[in-house]
Amino acid sequence: MLKKIALAAGLFSATALASNAVQAEVKVGLLGGISGPIAAMAPPMLDSAQLAIQQVNEQGGILGGQTLEAVVGDSACNPQNGVDSATKLVNIEQVAGLIGPHCSGAVLAVANSVTVPAGITLITPSGTSPEITGLDDKGQVFRTVPSDDFQGRSLARTLLDLGTKKVAVAYLNNDYGSGLANAFKVEFEANGGELAGYSAHEEGKASYRSNLAELSRGGADTLVIFDYGDGTGLTILRQALENGFFTNFVGGDGMKSDAIIRELGADNLTTFIASSPVGEKSNSLEIFNEAYKAVGGNPDAIFVSNSYDAAFLMALALEKAGGDSSKVSAAMSAVSDGQGEAVLPGEWTKAVELIAAGKDIDYKGASGDLNFDNAGDVPGSYGLFKVEGDAFALQQALN
Amino acid sequence: MELIGLLNYAVFMAIFIGIYSLLALGLNIQWGFSGLFNAGIAGFFAVGAYTSALLTAPESSVHLGGFQLPVVAGWIGAMIAAGLIAWPIGKVCLRFRSDYLAIATIGVAEIIRLVVKSEGWMTGGARGVNKIPRPFGDLTYLYSQLAYLALVVAIVFVVYLAIERQISAPWGRMMRGIRDNEDAATAMGKDIKARRLEAFIFGAAVMGLGGALFAHFNRSITPEAIDPMIATFLIWIMLILGGSGNNRGALLGVAVVWIIWSASEFVTDQLPTEYAIKAKYMRVFIIGLLLQLVLRFRPEGILPEPQGTADRPEVKTLQNQESAAK
Repeated sequence: MLKKIALAAGLFSATALASNAVQAEVKVGLLGGISGPIAAMAPPMLDSAQLAIQQVNEQGGILGGQTLEAVVGDSACNPQNGVDSATKLVNIEQVAGLIGPHCSGAVLAVANSVTVPAGITLITPSGTSPEITGLDDKGQVFRTVPSDDFQGRSLARTLLDLGTKKVAVAYLNNDYGSGLANAFKVEFEANGGELAGYSAHEEGKASYRSNLAELSRGGADTLVIFDYGDGTGLTILRQALENGFFTNFVGGDGMKSDAIIRELGADNLTTFIASSPVGEKSNSLEIFNEAYKAVGGNPDAIFVSNSYDAAFLMALALEKAGGDSSKVSAAMSAVSDGQGEAVLPGEWTKAVELIAAGKDIDYKGASGDLNFDNAGDVPGSYGLFKVEGDAFALQQALN
Repeated sequence: MELIGLLNYAVFMAIFIGIYSLLALGLNIQWGFSGLFNAGIAGFFAVGAYTSALLTAPESSVHLGGFQLPVVAGWIGAMIAAGLIAWPIGKVCLRFRSDYLAIATIGVAEIIRLVVKSEGWMTGGARGVNKIPRPFGDLTYLYSQLAYLALVVAIVFVVYLAIERQISAPWGRMMRGIRDNEDAATAMGKDIKARRLEAFIFGAAVMGLGGALFAHFNRSITPEAIDPMIATFLIWIMLILGGSGNNRGALLGVAVVWIIWSASEFVTDQLPTEYAIKAKYMRVFIIGLLLQLVLRFRPEGILPEPQGTADRPEVKTLQNQESAAK
């Protein structure tokens, strides 16, 4: 019994401590899939978001010199923990906005049962499900990553333009893989392409040779892989190369990973291309890469630039809304609608001055231009990358 | 911290405790009273959640449905569907003894999860089912949560009463008899296979209802929710800690574990920021440690199963006779 009392006392004093925080702080929630299936991806994403917050604080702070503080929550990549953690962030920590969650299922649940009813704006760096577009969200849900629909469709059109009419598709059976694959399939077939194979695979298996053999039976010489290059996608690509199931390989943005070049060698990847988002006519990405390297991060990790942009946009929107959480959603659209003076990653002081002067600003993100449409989605511009030397190089833009 | 925020959080916790109570009560019927080791709670949770979602959600191009039935119909449908799925599983698996049954049910839950993920025409695949109506969902944040809480509490209360009644009836005594001594029960002419199947289906239906309440609360259900950690093992811990074989113990276990699970994040958040990410794993560790401690020091749980039922007249007479004989 004594133990229980001690525990309860500990809990109460902890919550009391949290509530006594100084008022010169503006809190935002940083909700990530820390302990779940994307545990390996989440920490770099959170780090890059923290980088944006650190830059804001180093350059004079938010809302006239207040400190921007990120409260980290764990969504464990499932709706149960996501909703629980978001409820705490919104109600107990009283955050002014929420960055995350990382996984689509958690985004849907959190938006439906916490942030939209509470009137808090949510921006996810990696929720790619097309369902997020259709949320009944009063304009309060944004994302810095394009819906899977965009990339899958533009990749399909580009492949057809390049003269590839018959492909097989292998995709990871999660929201990322199946979302991309579905969009690709619809667009590819509608424009006269032929799918010689189309199959989902589960992650983490030692061998995918039977899947690959099945896919190659359709007679296509091009394999399209929608998977992660530092996970199952690498295994699939390696085994497809080793066994000669296919000659050409095409990947989605998840496959544009340095792990592939490191593990398989550039010599073996002459027939491999991957689509990936590209920033339009700006050096935003380089600025971010430099800044992120300087704090010890790996800028090639998946979704780190999206995560950075989400945090920086949230700060900009809060500044523009004057800290009023009910106005953040309108401000979010306003700071990145393609109109106004360009603000690049890290240019916080400049942005604050422009906002104070009442001028329109347009954030040019590291992960793309990020001009929000009415649903809070970004269109995303993509390029096809091939392996050159020991790195990926842009081959052509996707239409 | 504003009071209204605290209230919102408390109401949310109560709703989740209610939903998990249904899962724990369902498990209590199967394990607590009948000795059936079901390690596939997530499967029945998923069947209930998806059935109710598909029955009530508006039409969509990505999944089956568009029936838009009233929510009540969805909830009843969820119980029926979970029970129906449990029937063939029980038929096949209940012949196994405890640990084999556990392995079989883990497999079944995994099959259900993969079917949900892969059969996109029916379940929407990874996109899941969205726009599920939530009762009283149009009210403001606090009132909407309060109304939903009232619904959940009412349902849990009815289910609790139903189980209590069933367990104190001759059926319940027979189930405990089968659990404690299968050979004796066989010798008394009990049809063990059929009785176990009844308990298995009864428990699964209650779990299905819990899944349905969860889906409607979040207005969406995706395969990510069918995570064994959060939808199977957490419930086992709740039941073991609270006291299996005792419905009040099950409810208490749910409340204690969920509050520790949820509120421990405040404690770990007090650690310095460089540990912020590592600290999140502390919660998983705390839950595991708790289970170890309970099993070591109080294996019967906080509220153990009541032994002997002294308030029943026939038992009293029996005890009187015994003491008279001495």
